[in-house]
Amino acid sequence: MRRVLTAVIAAAAGAAIATSVSCGSSQSSQPPTQSGRPARTADGKPNFNGVWQALNEANWDLQAHDARPGMVTQKGVYDYEYARVPAAPVVALGAAAGVPASLGVVQGDGQIPYKPEAAAIKQQNGENWIDRDPELKCYLPGTPRAMYMPYPFAIVQGTDKIHMTFAFSNAGRVIHLNKVEGPPDDTYMGHSVGHWENDTLVVEVTNFNGKNWFDRAGNFHSDALKLVERYSPISPDAIRYEVTIDDPKTFTKPWTIAMPLYRRLEANATVLDYPCIEFSEEFMYGQLRKQQLVKHWESETMNIDITRKVPPGDRLHEWYRR
Amino acid sequence: MGRRFLDALGVAGVLAALVLFLHQTAAGQAPAPKPTEPAAAAKPAEKGPVPKTAWGHPDLQGIWLDEFDTPLERPRRYADKEFFTDEERTAQDKERSGNIGRNERAEVGSRQDVAGAYNAVFTSAKPTGRRTSLVVDPPNGRLPPLTTQMQERNRLDREFRLALLQNTDTCKNKMNGCAGGKYGPPSPKLNEEPPSYNTQRMNRHDGPEDQSMGDRCMLGAEPDYTGFRRIVQGQDIIAFGIDTGQGQGFQRVVYLSGSHPPANVRLRFGDSRGHFEGDTLIVETTNFSPNFPIRGAAENLKIVERITRLNAKTLEYAITMTDPTVWTAPWTTKQELTMQSDTENRIYYEPRCHEGNYGLPSLLVGARVDDRNFKEGKGPNPASQDTASCLLNPENPQ
Repeated sequence: MRRVLTAVIAAAAGAAIATSVSCGSSQSSQPPTQSGRPARTADGKPNFNGVWQALNEANWDLQAHDARPGMVTQKGVYDYEYARVPAAPVVALGAAAGVPASLGVVQGDGQIPYKPEAAAIKQQNGENWIDRDPELKCYLPGTPRAMYMPYPFAIVQGTDKIHMTFAFSNAGRVIHLNKVEGPPDDTYMGHSVGHWENDTLVVEVTNFNGKNWFDRAGNFHSDALKLVERYSPISPDAIRYEVTIDDPKTFTKPWTIAMPLYRRLEANATVLDYPCIEFSEEFMYGQLRKQQLVKHWESETMNIDITRKVPPGDRLHEWYRR
Repeated sequence: MGRRFLDALGVAGVLAALVLFLHQTAAGQAPAPKPTEPAAAAKPAEKGPVPKTAWGHPDLQGIWLDEFDTPLERPRRYADKEFFTDEERTAQDKERSGNIGRNERAEVGSRQDVAGAYNAVFTSAKPTGRRTSLVVDPPNGRLPPLTTQMQERNRLDREFRLALLQNTDTCKNKMNGCAGGKYGPPSPKLNEEPPSYNTQRMNRHDGPEDQSMGDRCMLGAEPDYTGFRRIVQGQDIIAFGIDTGQGQGFQRVVYLSGSHPPANVRLRFGDSRGHFEGDTLIVETTNFSPNFPIRGAAENLKIVERITRLNAKTLEYAITMTDPTVWTAPWTTKQELTMQSDTENRIYYEPRCHEGNYGLPSLLVGARVDDRNFKEGKGPNPASQDTASCLLNPENPQ
């Protein structure tokens, strides 16, 4: 009898949980989110409409890492990795230009299963971060990097499409919830086709051009990249965002990152501009000015002379120099 | 050999810019449309049943484009006539299809010939629409007069651009690009800042700021009269995807809640707040950035859009522009946009002009080589070379 009673209570509790998780298409029965939005859309799906942002250090490095004294460092007086000092490009910014530590977002053992030749490229990417990271040139950030860059983005949940607008470079993504064939050429942001599995939005992303990175540490992928993203509500104001990354040209096996995305709960949360095409012009084209604007920098405590180095292999600049 | 390569590089930059230029001016100049058969969409749109979203708003979602070629301003000869008859449209299409326009070539191998290399094949021409102009208010279909302040700004701007051209053959030979100017020695203005924030190509290439917004991959601006590459509609937030200017498209977010940010916060496409009145979405956009002026309007610009789903296939799109520092009165355009097939338009036109912008550094490198060659006595004074007007006929450089 007692066992039966326990079973009944368990079943009732289960039903209650199930109701709270997967039902409730009527808006009135749903508690509103802290932002005042209903927790579900009129068609009963988790309500992802609004402004979101990751709150972590993944854009610095997907993997667990210690804090660093500068975005770019060089060997210090002691030959230890932990005794490096900030390098010239950031030394003028002092403690504002360091890198925050992170527990990492790579699931499992925290390792990224690079093929040996790809691991060497990753290493070189990290060492040549300023010259190679597409973020510094304000190129479209790609997926998944756009999702965890330190800028907000808007999700608009339509009937058969979901649209995302990112503050960084005004990048955009459309997730097709209806079957839509991919584009005939490759893309930066990928071709996204999604479907709902109960309360989880599952999105397959393909058709990448292989020109993006995952982070500022030089983690990268090829044009063979395929993603499966899973967006699961943790609460009405937080999403568990999980991505399985498959790229047989670069990695020995698929691997997964996961992190929460948070709803921006400020009153009047808005995706403001980060218009970085114009921000990057001095970086990209400054050396082509008739009169150099930035060649020497001077403050109360230091003077720095700027030398612009033409990246090796840049045919345009090599031709100009000859 | 070096010189030839330089020319090739310069040409690449000029061509990239020319495509943008043509894109911008195509509506006014495009020849050779095919005579259209009066299609269903060409008839006045009738109010029909309006699809609704699950939450009861008129459903605006989809791809909506203006299928017709309509000038922004109405030619004066049509006075207050707002619509063409079907016969007039057929006649216009026939006339335009007989105009070989840019298919004409200048002397083969000349700079003019190269500058005109993008002939009519590269720019699609749409059939004549019902409307004689996009502008419906003022009722004469023309923009209201500019304020005195704006007229003066335009005058100074034109004077500056002509000064930069004055030592070139374009002025010497009194070509259209020099209209209003005269031939003379290199101008001291070559070393001066432009009188207002520059958005157009000028005959000087000292840095990115001397180039047009198109050259810099920042051409996309609101309002865009091509339509919506995609509307995705949520319950309290709506996204507009715009495709324009060869990879210079952009995303807009319209919030159905909240209020405009503080006045010192400026956005390239403005801050858009919307609400529904009946079947119409009304969007008010302010907080425009001074870096992206639209016909000179920026910080004081207010745009009100009225988007109405008329029936299954038609969206009425009205835009009212107000900026008392630029125009003496508000003005309104109206278009009927037609729903496009999601399957046939499934390609997402990713705006990635900047990522492939070899034209801009090539142009600047070319200019630096010209500077160097002139300094070493190996080339002409760059001020004597027209690298701005495309040797075509820019009727209105602003």
